[in-house]
Amino acid sequence: MSDVTRGDILLEARDLSRHFQVRGESGFFSKKRTVRAVDDVNLSLRAGRVLAVVGESGSGKSVLARMLSRIVAPTSGELILNGQTVDLTHRRTLEYARQVQLVLQDPFAAINPVRKVVHAIERPLLIHGTPKGDVLTRAHDVLESVSLTPPQQYLERYPHELSGGQLQRINIARGLSVNPRILLADEPISMLDVSVRLGVLNLLRTLCDDRHLAMMYITHDIASARYIADETVVMYAGQIVERARGTSLIDAPMHPYTQLLVASVPNPESLASRHESTASTPGTIGFNYDGCRFSPRCPQAMDICHRNQPPVVELGDEHSSRCWLPASDEQRAAVTITTKNSTPVGSETS
Amino acid sequence: MTTHDHVLDVKNFSVNYGFGPSSVRAVTDVSFTLGTSRVLGVAGESGSGKSTLVYGLTRLLRAPGVITGGDVTFYVPEGDAARPFDVLAASEQDLRTIRWSHISIVLQSALSALNPLRRIGREFDEVLRTHEKAMSKSQRAQRSVELLELVGLDADRLDRFPHELSGGQRQRVMIAMALALTPELVIMDEPTTALDVVTQREIVSELYELRKKLGFAMIFITHDLSLLVELADEIMVMYAGHIVERAPAVELYRSPRHPYTLGLMNSFPPLHGERHEMTGIPGSPPDLKALPTGCPFHPRCPNAMDICRQQVPPLSSIDESSRLVACWLHEPSVGATVPVELSKKSGSSAGVGQ
Repeated sequence: MSDVTRGDILLEARDLSRHFQVRGESGFFSKKRTVRAVDDVNLSLRAGRVLAVVGESGSGKSVLARMLSRIVAPTSGELILNGQTVDLTHRRTLEYARQVQLVLQDPFAAINPVRKVVHAIERPLLIHGTPKGDVLTRAHDVLESVSLTPPQQYLERYPHELSGGQLQRINIARGLSVNPRILLADEPISMLDVSVRLGVLNLLRTLCDDRHLAMMYITHDIASARYIADETVVMYAGQIVERARGTSLIDAPMHPYTQLLVASVPNPESLASRHESTASTPGTIGFNYDGCRFSPRCPQAMDICHRNQPPVVELGDEHSSRCWLPASDEQRAAVTITTKNSTPVGSETS
Repeated sequence: MTTHDHVLDVKNFSVNYGFGPSSVRAVTDVSFTLGTSRVLGVAGESGSGKSTLVYGLTRLLRAPGVITGGDVTFYVPEGDAARPFDVLAASEQDLRTIRWSHISIVLQSALSALNPLRRIGREFDEVLRTHEKAMSKSQRAQRSVELLELVGLDADRLDRFPHELSGGQRQRVMIAMALALTPELVIMDEPTTALDVVTQREIVSELYELRKKLGFAMIFITHDLSLLVELADEIMVMYAGHIVERAPAVELYRSPRHPYTLGLMNSFPPLHGERHEMTGIPGSPPDLKALPTGCPFHPRCPNAMDICRQQVPPLSSIDESSRLVACWLHEPSVGATVPVELSKKSGSSAGVGQ
């Protein structure tokens, strides 16, 4: 692990997409429809850095994590691990699984309830070829690294004897046991009690710093993303709509969807503005695939938003937003011309 | 006392799970009064007894839950006066006259609360048919449409099945159904926990508007303290089945008095200001089967003293008369020095976690 320095790109996704075919709305025999759960996502996970992926349920964030861990096969796109393109036509190798570990949301469901905790920790070690004699020492080490001490006390227990926070630590320990380089944490704290959430979040941050792990932290809680992340991306309907470093995404959101998200978080500090109705209209389950996907709910939607996919606009300081509002005149003009020639932008994906 | 400004009076209410020596005490000695059109927020972690409390109050508690003591009085409005109704002594038949028409409840999971094989319209129709026998079929249909419009849904949703609605829409349907018979008290058990923040915001704003318009009282249960500060008039914080603090919402937020309340607030990373390391509350939530002696919070409390390990602190009022707290730190007879973060003046505008 020590050959990795902070900031190196360990895992990169290029134009990663996953589409699902679903039955149409009008019944069993209706034409199939494509749902673009993840669409052309580009991101890189860097050693010692936390990338937070924020989005509501159905935004594609979990599918993205499953693609990165290669549980779900991408429809198109590339994965690059340690500078080498991963062969997506073959099954995931054991080595890939060792390097990229996924921590799931619900620790109660992720750990076998009829086996002792020691079983959950031992199994990945044995599968990944740790000599039998070393397994127990490794198990002890890894439990200590998630602050479950003394380890012996936890290894001989059954999952139901532990609290949610302790179980999630075991879940994380299990992921760490094989010395991964990349940890994908899918909503690791949303099932936990409020008072222990910060403890687990701090643990993840410490692990990331100490072991130079590249971490993806998936959440719907934008405040926790602000707390832990070095870079934050916001997903909406399968696309990354905004990304920025540090806290600037939440402190100065540019995309209307991010603005809506930030405004929706309960915030007792601004009691004066409470209960002002927000601009969005709920109930639109379908998305607009021709134009901006957020345009049906967007309070600032313009004509162009309904017709054309917005470009990713760079706002400086590694802050970018997929939106027509900050787009330059040239970007708008480019679309106007292509529309005249009746080949709208993004037609290759529609 | 048959004052019309109260809807609910609860005294020394306790609930156990199971009988005999192996029983677990889930709610201990809870007392409160809920005024007409007031919103009481109940905050606490899982296992704190907040759901058990409201199931007990409405007699919806199933075995092995046992109500072991206390008085619950609901005031049924009759003209200008109010008739006290002893909930715990009432027969099942009498309870039916109160439930839904006077007290209704909205549960966390709308998907499992709605019958998946029935269209939404039929659920509405059933409620109205059972409780409003004088209504004709067309009146019922009309009332259903009115109710849906009340929560901002189109009338065509009545023909849909639950799975055809989004999570937020389903929760709106549940709220509309709870309001169908214009109850005096609506109980909300984590109605927004399963929803994302944008939908949560919309539903909370809507509840606020509806309450202003219809004037029902509300008990709102959640683990999200900051949400309660926005919505509730008064907040009750529960820990291991005990009320540890009760105060007007803004005062509780501005100046928490119990170390657990303070810890809960510090468990939510702020949305503004400098990023800095926060600690939350050390340790694990309590195991009700093996509660520590004394104050149940003492093993996790940064301010624990000797007396905390020996005796359970009483819930008593402190400086401001409307506030109650169960903590030895604030007991004058103990003479402890109260840490500065637990003795802030409520008028000060300094926020927590800043």
